[in-house]
Amino acid sequence: MIQLNNVTKIYPDGSKGVENINLHIRKGEFVFIVGSSGSGKSTLMKLLLKELDPTEGEIIINRIVTNELPRKQIPYLRRKLGVVFQDFRLLPNKTVAENVAFAMLVVEAPRRVIRRNVPAVLALVGLEKKGRSKPNQLSGGEQQRTALARAIVNNPPILICDEPTGNLDPETTWEIMELLVEINKRGTTIVMATHARDIVDIMQKRVITIDDGHIVRDREGGYVG
Amino acid sequence: MKPRTIRYFLEEGVTGLKKNLLMTMASIMAVMACITILSFSYIVTSNLEHVLQQMEDSIGISVFIDGEPDSAEISRIRGELEALDYVTFVEYISPAQALDALKADWGADEDIFTGLDNDNNPLSHSFQLSLSDMDYQTLVLTEVSKIDGIGTVRHGQAETELITKLSDVLRNVGIVVMALLSIISVTIITNTIRISVANRRVEINIMKYVGATDTFIRWPFIVEGMIIGLVGAAVPLALSVPLYSAAIQNLYAAIPVIEMVQFRLSGDIFVTLAPMALAFGIVLGIIGSTTSIRKHLRV
Repeated sequence: MIQLNNVTKIYPDGSKGVENINLHIRKGEFVFIVGSSGSGKSTLMKLLLKELDPTEGEIIINRIVTNELPRKQIPYLRRKLGVVFQDFRLLPNKTVAENVAFAMLVVEAPRRVIRRNVPAVLALVGLEKKGRSKPNQLSGGEQQRTALARAIVNNPPILICDEPTGNLDPETTWEIMELLVEINKRGTTIVMATHARDIVDIMQKRVITIDDGHIVRDREGGYVG
Repeated sequence: MKPRTIRYFLEEGVTGLKKNLLMTMASIMAVMACITILSFSYIVTSNLEHVLQQMEDSIGISVFIDGEPDSAEISRIRGELEALDYVTFVEYISPAQALDALKADWGADEDIFTGLDNDNNPLSHSFQLSLSDMDYQTLVLTEVSKIDGIGTVRHGQAETELITKLSDVLRNVGIVVMALLSIISVTIITNTIRISVANRRVEINIMKYVGATDTFIRWPFIVEGMIIGLVGAAVPLALSVPLYSAAIQNLYAAIPVIEMVQFRLSGDIFVTLAPMALAFGIVLGIIGSTTSIRKHLRV
């Protein structure tokens, strides 16, 4: 599903993002990417989202070599990647339902599919009664669930989560993690970058540790053991 | 493109303009200034050309024959005149016909011609020529002067040249002023759209991540530019219809002698001016928005 072969990213100022990364994530996996600030975690996430191109090596997502992808094809790659950020990135002037529908509208999904999928996905994330609320009327957890609903409403096979629980309290964090597990059970591959050691330890999933731009550890289990 | 998508672009375009009302108004004013100059320049030059056309139709060239030609000589000259390029009509005028016409022109004052009759007529045999295009007047005059037996030739060359020059100067000044105003309009529109892009930073970012195409992201901003151009052109156009009629009426009232000249009907003018000005306004808007998108919208 996701494959990185000898991927190196050197920034124009000469600083190193990641170096010689080899990684293979299979369909349906739930993978944590962990590492301290500046370890190269963010660079790796940006490479997966094709916000950055590698200086060397190749990235294959869903059988597409993304570093060879023409610019015009990038949107179609991104339709296969749902994204969730730490800061939610919701549109404040739109309701919860409109925020979710927006993701379908901009890919020109048929109206009937929007009408069918938006309530279904809001029900999945437990926001069926909040469809008409504006983001500023929601708690942090509800905002992140809205962002999650928006990320999965187009049924992407891969979900990229960049510190999705970073702004949430412990209780809400677990609500989001339970949702991610549920989404993963439905077949979506999940790649989640996090600093939250306790989550990683309890979840007992595959953990890829990055340090100084290199993968220093790749195994199932907790944050360190 | 689906109708729903087009509606989305229109709604987003209007929303963007509303959010940024002050700059939107400034952009519209700049386009209005530009279209006003375009309209003024077109109205004046097209009227001058219209007047010129009337002169071309009425002036023609008068060719006078030396001495007392016999009928064979008159036929020869007539044949040679008719054979000239750009000459569409040749009319022979005998001295007697010329005298009658002169008396008729002077009307009540024809007494001054007392004593002049067919036996005592100082007027010459002449031909009146009409041309298909007054631009070739000089060429025709040269050819006429080569014909044997031709004396004086009279024509309205000085007047037509004056009007042609006036029309050219006005058109050129209009083009220069319009070019300058176009640059100003495009610059202001570019800045308006830049602010609009900045206002929608988060939205654009989300659109990128959920897989919106570049075209989809850019269209609302192009629509904004088009609306600015359209409104900026429509307002001066709508105003210039009644203003034009009022200006003509005032001109006739202020300078009665000008009634000899027929100005173009407002319908004739605006059937050409309206699509031209609207298209020009929209093009200004599109240039302004695409310039801004290229510079400021990284998608």
